[in-house]
Amino acid sequence: MSLYMEAPQKLPDFWLWEERRKKQGLVSFTLELTPRCNNACRHCYINLPAGDGQARERELDFDGIKKIVDEAAELGAMWCLITGGEPLLREDFEDIYLYIKRKGIFVSVFTNATLISEKHVQLFKKYPPRALEITVYGVTEKTYGAVTGKPELFAAFMRGVRLLLDAGVPLSLKTVMIRSNVHEFQEIAAFCRAHSSEPFRFDPFIHLRFDRDEKRNQEIREERLSPEAIVALEHSDSARHDALQKNCEKLVFNEDMDNPEGFLFGCGAGISEFYVNHEGFFMLCASLYGSGLLYDLKNGTIKNALDDFVPKIRAMRTTKTEYMANCGRCRIINLCLWCPAHAFLEMGQLDACVDYFCSVAKERYKKMLL
Amino acid sequence: MEIDVNAVYLPSEDVVARKIDDAFILVPIASGVGSMEDELYTLNETGHIIWEGLAPGRRVVDLAKSLAEEYDASEEEIRQDIQGILTELLKLNMIHKDG
Repeated sequence: MSLYMEAPQKLPDFWLWEERRKKQGLVSFTLELTPRCNNACRHCYINLPAGDGQARERELDFDGIKKIVDEAAELGAMWCLITGGEPLLREDFEDIYLYIKRKGIFVSVFTNATLISEKHVQLFKKYPPRALEITVYGVTEKTYGAVTGKPELFAAFMRGVRLLLDAGVPLSLKTVMIRSNVHEFQEIAAFCRAHSSEPFRFDPFIHLRFDRDEKRNQEIREERLSPEAIVALEHSDSARHDALQKNCEKLVFNEDMDNPEGFLFGCGAGISEFYVNHEGFFMLCASLYGSGLLYDLKNGTIKNALDDFVPKIRAMRTTKTEYMANCGRCRIINLCLWCPAHAFLEMGQLDACVDYFCSVAKERYKKMLL
Repeated sequence: MEIDVNAVYLPSEDVVARKIDDAFILVPIASGVGSMEDELYTLNETGHIIWEGLAPGRRVVDLAKSLAEEYDASEEEIRQDIQGILTELLKLNMIHKDG
């Protein structure tokens, strides 16, 4: 660009992002501000009522969050995702958001948009997020209410989206596809495409709850689409279909995986990125939650977590015959929702095989071959 | 956009300067700063030294003199460098003229 400055680059094309990832240096983290939400979605793995006082008591306060952000910035983090629950329920949301921004860290926010106020709009207009991602549960009150349990919030959702759009705040609209809204898939996709410059994304995979509430887990199981329905949806979306077909060779191995040592973590969890839950526990990723899998940042540092805790978790192995004969060597594991974190949520074991995941993966593979 | 060598220029409050590994980067955090809201800028060593030299009460000529002494270079050459980068930063609203 000039004698003094390189041409500007966006994340993740920024040269330092890639360089640090290669060296396994920290680049990003997620902050879960609260598990509370004003919606009560049937499929949600975390939501607690907005007024849950006990949950609120356990949430990391602003000082605790600042300590984490300060250290993450010192360690070189360039991007932070703020999520929940519904993060806008936090009265100190603006303080937290600006604190992270003023560290020179890009911030993305996941929100349901129902609590968006004129004040939030002005905040996002003046200090733009890298992305503002809103999940569209339905585009009619009936469907929105069937998913969220709060049909009365449909108007608030539409108002929030409208306020942001009118102010020119770029949105990324996406959806989750479950039995309660799948009949509205085309309408939701059209809505997202009409109001967002980002490519439309949908997630048909929902996993079980952190709190292992069996009644709520049963609701989640009931909301899961069948493997056939998931694959049909994926192939009805041309962008997703093309991506799957294009990456077929990368997604499917020609022969069984070689993993005689039984290592469980083939993913990048805890490398270059991490997750902090609302109580200040360090997690390797958004799904790896359970006893022995958390590191308390209230009594420790991110550096210690990355240097000592992460390697111990990632070194975990299994000799379980069922795993070694199936998931541990599976050629289509990359088409599967299986990972140790999801297996743990389903079965309470990191090395458990999960029939539903397996059925989805096989159905996806079958469709790819056609 | 001409740089006044007798004026003081200061970093905008809406830019965060960070050193990550050996890189010195500028991160715009507000609308209207930088060319796009979510882009990062990398300064080279000269740019970095000049950025660090921007301080309240320090005019461009003062900075040029001080850097010329520190780096044993001609004041004129240094002033040209300073004017060059300040022109770019001013266009991007990453600095402002004080007072």
